[in-house]
Amino acid sequence: MTQSIDLTTPAGMVLGLLPESVLSLAILAVLLVISWRHTGPADSRRAGWLSLASLGVTAVALAWLAQAAPADPGLGLMIAVDSFRFLASSLVLLLSAGSVLCSLGYLERERLLAPEYYVLLLLAVLGMLFMVNAQDLIILFLGLETMSVSIYVLAAYSRGSTFSAEAGLKYFLMGSFAAGFLLYGVALVYGAAGTTNLVQIGGQFASGGLSLMARLGLGLLIVGFAFKVAAVPFHMWAPDTYDGAPTPVSGFMATAVKAAGFIALARVLYTCFDSSVTQWQPIIWGIAVASMVLGNLVALAQKSLKRMLAYSSVAHAGYLLTALWPGSPLGVSAMTFYLLGYGITSIAAFALLAAVGRGGERDVSLADVAGLAGQRPWLAFALAVSLLSLLGFPGTVGFIGKWYIISSVVAAGHATLAVILVVTSVVSAGYYLPVIMSMYMKPARAPAVYHDTRLSSTAGFAVALAVIAILALGVYPVPALGLTDDAAASLAQSTAESVAGQ
Amino acid sequence: MTDFLTQIAYDRWILNALLVLPLLGVIPIVLAPAARAKHIAMAITVLELLLSLGLWWAYNPGDPAMQLGVTGPWLPRWGINYTLGLDGISLFMVLLTTGITPLAVLSSFHYITEQEKLYYGLLLTLLTGMLGVFLALDMFLFYVFWELMLIPMYFIIGIWGGRNRLYAAIKFFIYTMAGSLLMLVAILVMMFQVAKTTGQYTFAYDSFLQASPGMGAYAPWLFLAFALAFAIKVPIFPFHTWLPDAHVEAPTAGSVILASVLLKMGTYGFLRFAVPFFPEVALSPAVTAIVTTCAVIGVIYGALVAMVQPDVKKLVAYSSVSHLGFVMLGIWAATLQSVQGALMIMIGHGLSTGALFLLIGMLYERRHTREISAYGGLARVIPVFSLILVVTSLASIGLPGLNGFVGEFLVLLGSFGRHPWATGLATTGVIFAAAYLLWALQRILFNRLDKPENAHLPDLSARELVVVLPLVAGMVWLGLYPKPVLDRMDASARHYVQQVQPGFERQPATALNRAGEERP
Repeated sequence: MTQSIDLTTPAGMVLGLLPESVLSLAILAVLLVISWRHTGPADSRRAGWLSLASLGVTAVALAWLAQAAPADPGLGLMIAVDSFRFLASSLVLLLSAGSVLCSLGYLERERLLAPEYYVLLLLAVLGMLFMVNAQDLIILFLGLETMSVSIYVLAAYSRGSTFSAEAGLKYFLMGSFAAGFLLYGVALVYGAAGTTNLVQIGGQFASGGLSLMARLGLGLLIVGFAFKVAAVPFHMWAPDTYDGAPTPVSGFMATAVKAAGFIALARVLYTCFDSSVTQWQPIIWGIAVASMVLGNLVALAQKSLKRMLAYSSVAHAGYLLTALWPGSPLGVSAMTFYLLGYGITSIAAFALLAAVGRGGERDVSLADVAGLAGQRPWLAFALAVSLLSLLGFPGTVGFIGKWYIISSVVAAGHATLAVILVVTSVVSAGYYLPVIMSMYMKPARAPAVYHDTRLSSTAGFAVALAVIAILALGVYPVPALGLTDDAAASLAQSTAESVAGQ
Repeated sequence: MTDFLTQIAYDRWILNALLVLPLLGVIPIVLAPAARAKHIAMAITVLELLLSLGLWWAYNPGDPAMQLGVTGPWLPRWGINYTLGLDGISLFMVLLTTGITPLAVLSSFHYITEQEKLYYGLLLTLLTGMLGVFLALDMFLFYVFWELMLIPMYFIIGIWGGRNRLYAAIKFFIYTMAGSLLMLVAILVMMFQVAKTTGQYTFAYDSFLQASPGMGAYAPWLFLAFALAFAIKVPIFPFHTWLPDAHVEAPTAGSVILASVLLKMGTYGFLRFAVPFFPEVALSPAVTAIVTTCAVIGVIYGALVAMVQPDVKKLVAYSSVSHLGFVMLGIWAATLQSVQGALMIMIGHGLSTGALFLLIGMLYERRHTREISAYGGLARVIPVFSLILVVTSLASIGLPGLNGFVGEFLVLLGSFGRHPWATGLATTGVIFAAAYLLWALQRILFNRLDKPENAHLPDLSARELVVVLPLVAGMVWLGLYPKPVLDRMDASARHYVQQVQPGFERQPATALNRAGEERP
């Protein structure tokens, strides 16, 4: 085991894709099982557990690859073999496992008993794994499309609900549009650099500068990604889609999909366009500020909690873009840590929202959680902790994440963006706190109104883990910060190589 | 006593113990039945008070440096440490906090009847947060404690408060958070500036203090961010609008802790951080003019608005705005007397306003109204209560022989040389204070006993006497013999003055300065 794999041989290349290969095989196996058995709740549950096992096996393969990977993988590979990829893949797997756990009870309760759900979810995960490991624009695009197509279907999964159909259709139309932008960007960048390999593109641009064509390509790539991560002004699909989709799918989109999008964006920006930071910084700045301001202000006006969380996810995209802005390893580390913190927090928040609502949770308002603390103290506590973490309150992982983002921006000598971030965070208190107030400070509509408000045992397990992690990482984030710092350093290293390689 | 403390190595564990004990106390409260929660909270807070009393002897009054320090790594890569320490300023804030909290707990015994576990758990968490703010010597740690105590207070106001509690709670939260988040950005900007000169990341208070002259063009903005956070907390006019709402809606114990401790965090922040970090900005003519103007407006406006309040709790709330104006005046005059006076008002206001809120709470428990017009002639019905209310009010007014006088006198004395006009105007605040409190006393305690429902109110019970008498004793002690207290704050106050104006020692001792040296 101590000998690292040789990526120049075909066998080595296969091993370099081991997690993705394992997951593909597992998906086929799950598909095979459900094609025999796909009628009752038991079959759906079985598919759920099988997909959880698939994610577990993939994680094992990933862990093996991480320790067997060579320290210096060499140049020009289509996939990256660095710790940034390993950390991002683990993050995607973790958040997807959380989504599966939350889906298990939910699908049964909502009578959405088609086990294909889990296959689609796993396919989306496969796409994400390719997105985060892509060191080539074609691989990146393939991964993105695999993910997107699966999620179009997942968003429309609640077949009886017109809102779910609307969610899926809207996401599909907007997503195809975004894919078009992205593909056009890829084509222009290819035209300018003569290659689709990120490292080689980075080398070209570092020595030759950006031509007009490359600049256009850069802009279109950013637009395409901004669609995927729901950043203003490309966020219009997000509220309706989050709102109409089954709640665990909304949670999945807000966490894992967003994480994959940001990781891929970071890799493209840092590997290809590291030499032209000043070219893309103003664009990122504008999108980040617009997302933070608009996301937070519009969230303030929402009555439905699900829609509120959707707009808040737009705002969080703004915070994450703020972390990308400095163009420094510190910023990438902050972004990755924030993705982790925001991911586990949102998984818990969406799961808890699913617990208090029924039939898609579209109409859960503040009044529907009034007095929850008196009757379901632990549910209320978990939701309060999640919301405080989203708010970025000390003692929770959300605070460490925001602190790290602010640090990365201030370290780059630009306090204005940090000030905008904190001021919009104060605005966000205006919509997170009323939920806590409603749960703790208002009387319940009737005694025992929350009689059947409960998490399924699997979702409860996921939420409990998430809450513990939110608090533990909020007090002692050192190990996680070490991981994200290493990952960011490995990305910076491949950037340096792209420059040196030319 | 000192020998005994040395024997048990008191100086090594006391600050940790003070922070950890209340948090540990939350565990039995969660586990025990709800009816026991108040007794556990009482036991923990009394134990905390007894532990903290040792600080009185363990603290070395001659040494202006931070004492009893403990430190340990927290986020080492960022130079963030768990560093605590105590000087002559924080000593009294800590003692005030540990002293007031058991009384607040005791006063809640009958007042709080719902969700007692949550209530007492939050009070203990709040205690840790407050002590952390006064003890932290790492800027990151300070910020965490500063924000952390928001949550318990927010819940205490929001769950057990009065009719308009939700509005008051969210206003309190958002005002404080808006200020403190900007302070976080300022702390980070300073940290990176410090890192530029020293080459390593650190959040240590001392490093910030040493590096602060090198902030250059950033200094005004950084000062502004710190000052805003603290100004909202004090609160200085015109940032005071959250205070009447929070005070009036909070349950008695919440009002007491707000008035006695939380407001002091703002002035403590100015004394510890904002002014020593940026003395050139803070004491520049323009900023001085703005702050003293706001302070004097606060003194007079607070007093005038207090005068017309029909609600006695609101009256006391506005009187806080007035008193804290004196403190700000004293801090900005930056003479030895004025700073000592400011500290004395901080302590004295904690005692007397805390006592006033407790007494109002007791009255409210009997009659369920705080309208001044609902009372009258109570002196004949409940003489003990009336006597204590009179003494406390006189202390708040600043009658010689009680605590309020010492602080206000020192502030006015120390500030007059610097800002004669502002000081002269602020003096009228003392007169207005006499007006609004004496007028209120007249309408509540004296006049005719014309409301039949007031005729049979029970006088203070033994428990209620135990709640207020320690505060009255403190007021008399500080008023008659403040020397031990002044001695202990002398070195730190002197140190502060030297920090913010290095030429201080070389100034000729004026007649005013000498008069200040001859303390009562």
